Amino acid sequence: MQILLEFAQGPLFRLAFGIMAIGLLRIFILDIWGAVEAYRRAGDKNIPWAKTVKKSLGWLFPIKRAFGSRPFYSLISILFHIGLILVPIFLFAHVNLWEKGAGLSWVTLPKTWADYLTLSTVLFGLALFFGRVSVKAASYISRKQDYFWPLILIIPFVTGYLCANVGISSSGYQFFMLAHVLSAEIIFVLIPFTKIAHCVIMPLSQFVVALAWKFPPDTDEPISISLDKKGIPI
Amino acid sequence: MDRKKATDEERARAYAPTKKPDVINKQKLDVRYHVEDYDVSDRPRRFLEAFAVILRHSNYRFALEHFIRMSAKCARCAVQCQVYQASGDFRDIPCYRSELLLKIYRQHFTVGGMLKGRLLGKGFLTDEMIEEMADSFWNCTACRRCTMECPAGIDHALLTHLGRYILSEIGIAPRALVVSVREQLEGKSGNTSAIPIPALLDTLEFLEDDMREAKGVEIKFPIDVEGCDFVFFPAVSDFLMEADTLMGIAAVFAATGDSWTTGTGYFDGINYGLFYSDRMLERIVKKLHAEAERLKGKNILIGECGHASRSAKYFVPTYCGGKDALPVINIMEYTYRILNKGRLKLDQNIITETVAYHDPCNIARQGWIIDQPREILKSFCKNYVEMEPHGENNICCGGGGGTVSIDEIRPYRTTVAGKVKAEQIRASGCKYLVAPCANCKKQLRELVEDQKIDCEVVGLHDLIYKAIIFDKK
Repeated sequence: MQILLEFAQGPLFRLAFGIMAIGLLRIFILDIWGAVEAYRRAGDKNIPWAKTVKKSLGWLFPIKRAFGSRPFYSLISILFHIGLILVPIFLFAHVNLWEKGAGLSWVTLPKTWADYLTLSTVLFGLALFFGRVSVKAASYISRKQDYFWPLILIIPFVTGYLCANVGISSSGYQFFMLAHVLSAEIIFVLIPFTKIAHCVIMPLSQFVVALAWKFPPDTDEPISISLDKKGIPI
Repeated sequence: MDRKKATDEERARAYAPTKKPDVINKQKLDVRYHVEDYDVSDRPRRFLEAFAVILRHSNYRFALEHFIRMSAKCARCAVQCQVYQASGDFRDIPCYRSELLLKIYRQHFTVGGMLKGRLLGKGFLTDEMIEEMADSFWNCTACRRCTMECPAGIDHALLTHLGRYILSEIGIAPRALVVSVREQLEGKSGNTSAIPIPALLDTLEFLEDDMREAKGVEIKFPIDVEGCDFVFFPAVSDFLMEADTLMGIAAVFAATGDSWTTGTGYFDGINYGLFYSDRMLERIVKKLHAEAERLKGKNILIGECGHASRSAKYFVPTYCGGKDALPVINIMEYTYRILNKGRLKLDQNIITETVAYHDPCNIARQGWIIDQPREILKSFCKNYVEMEPHGENNICCGGGGGTVSIDEIRPYRTTVAGKVKAEQIRASGCKYLVAPCANCKKQLRELVEDQKIDCEVVGLHDLIYKAIIFDKK
């Protein structure tokens, strides 16, 4: 178990984190590249930049916007995201590992806050899952991954909490720590290939919408030619 | 009882078949709108070919790439969609509709999707999927309200727009729209209502006589005058159906003395390309701009019409030279401007009834024209009331996205798509419902008739015409 844990915390972690980092970087760059290319091709380059920035901030920090539709769901989703983002990045134990492994450190969460946020993430993750199951409109449009994600995302939180707070035997600790690390690594690897990739491209969404309606000029002729419709009456 | 939800009886009417079974079999298409006969063979392959060609020559691919990664299926859009609210059919949830196209893109145009398809041997585009899209994309009124509430920023209306465009390239598009565009671009009359020039001139002369009698002043519709400040393009159907709107606009220009003209080379602001084909959108926009240039006009002036205004405002720069293209303004912007300058006098004792303003989605959703018409109305209407929600978050009339022109789906428009709007109008208690859009006006008139609401649907300049005061010095 110890060897397995060391492997999971060492090379496997580096591999999983690397896949996530490179995958997300690729997606982010491709998104930006696509937007730049669309802007270059657009016939009308007049983009309402200020309004788009405002809209983007409005959705990144959805204090006002979120509660217009499905307010209860929106509140749970926001609270879920707060713990999901803050705990893995600012947990003292995690920062400590970064400091030891890479010499990097940053501000950390007080333990009580981290514990409450961990528990709230688990609670709200379960609420999101059951909400999706029980709200017919949501379940009708859901894919398998939409059910899967809230459940898998809370596994590292549950196991991490158990390791940090519950008096368990050494072998029990090793088991939960292994589950904690492996579940996090599975998440890391899957992120770039699933909807969770929105974690890096969400800030670009409003720009994409604004740009998407900026069509390139003179596309009638090349499309007509490609589809063998040139000169053919409507 | 939820008054926003269509009753069983209304649903039965809305979804009743409009075509004979032999037509459906022949066209392999069980949709309520009529379609011209088209090549029904090998539709999936032809759809994918058209999709690929459009992706190559457009900007859609980067948006699709973004959307397939962002879609979280939160169902917030369901709350905003007036069609879903009335129909209660999960297939009307905007996110479900968008997924119809997104999953085809994912499957056929991404490496992961193609590998998955090869490995599992499933998920490929089928005739059934094409039929579902053909039905679904035309149940949407393209009002873009769902987009406002999508945290992921997925523009469901853009996906509906693209889906309709691809379908049209394999021959699936409402006949009503295709026939109109054909007449506009290739027909003898060159406009969607097939109005010949002599008939146009007769109509305008008749209106001039009418205005002389009613107002006691000479009010003209200038024709083919070169070098004017404004070249005017109303929805051409206004020449047949909206005499009061046109007379109101002419009266405003008579009061200000600014130069404007209508061109006999082309005088139709309507652009159904916006609803089903970017290729048609481009051709129509170019035709409109060319006429304004022929007349050496300084501005393109669009009449009271939401989609005509949006297609000109946002696509004249796209297709006609960016910053070098002629500026586009809507008539309400002009009227608001001159009212503020004190060049327009309106009698405040003429319109005493309750007045409400309906925001056409195409000019309000992006925040372009919201306050201007309200300021105009409040300046002379004593009893102005507001419908909730309004402005950027307005409720669509139920005939948006070109659906209003499809007469065979009127029961659907007035019992499902327009149901929420009907309740909103009823709650306002208005006597005059001002809808400065040819499409909204037609839809709302049918809506208030079918839903038995006691109010009159008018244009903004219809009321201005009633209240305008001329300085007869």
